[in-house]
Amino acid sequence: MNELRTIIKKPIYPIDLVKYSGASGDFNEIHTVPAIAEEKGFANIIAHGMFVMGWAAAAIEEWFPERQLASFSVRFQAVTHPGTILVITGTMVAENSGEILIKDPQDSMKLMGSFIVKNSSV
Amino acid sequence: MVFDYAPFLIEAGKIKEFAKALQLENPIYRDEETAKSAGYRGIPVPPTFMTVIDFWNDRNFYQFFADFLKLNPNHVLHGEQSYEYHKVILAGDTIAAQVRVKEQFHKKGKNFFLLETIYRNQWNEITAVGRATIIEIAEVD
Repeated sequence: MNELRTIIKKPIYPIDLVKYSGASGDFNEIHTVPAIAEEKGFANIIAHGMFVMGWAAAAIEEWFPERQLASFSVRFQAVTHPGTILVITGTMVAENSGEILIKDPQDSMKLMGSFIVKNSSV
Repeated sequence: MVFDYAPFLIEAGKIKEFAKALQLENPIYRDEETAKSAGYRGIPVPPTFMTVIDFWNDRNFYQFFADFLKLNPNHVLHGEQSYEYHKVILAGDTIAAQVRVKEQFHKKGKNFFLLETIYRNQWNEITAVGRATIIEIAEVD
């Protein structure tokens, strides 16, 4: 077991989700329009799962800048609202495979994932 | 039962925009020379870019949901996502993605859809395979 360096992200702002909606094409208004999110029973807009997975992938890239992913799999555990700071931790469980967790500072789990990196670089 | 997304030309500008939206600092996603010195033939896409092929396309996830699954795409949540990476997708590639419903079931009052999407490049090589669990949430209106 080999702990990877913990990464603490800046808080998520609503504008981050607006930009991500435009870039990704996921225009579900639950991510950008508070009234729609409230109608669906959420306290505020929620981050796209794929936004959080995108940050998870970026963390793996930070841990292994010279290596590419062979596979990457995540389970979204809880919704993330703007203002949230995400804390990303990782552990290597074998030579090329690791686990990644994303939590908020109150320890609420947002994402659990596992990944395998390729042996060689590009 | 398969659904074909429209073939999608991977543009360098779109890669840059996506990388910027995710605040990715790695210059390989915006600068061809840096990407080449890192060993790529061109600008590669970030690992979760396939979602752009699903959503930001002429025939995409919205048609797949509305016309094919008869589901409102605004009434779903994303439960799980995984990718297998076979070949790097680069700017200039055209990716044809095909999605199929592998499984559909009802659990704890919710409808679950397990989707598998295969992304092939212009040489018909599999570049990536995506698997997603989509959960239908209650319609309020």
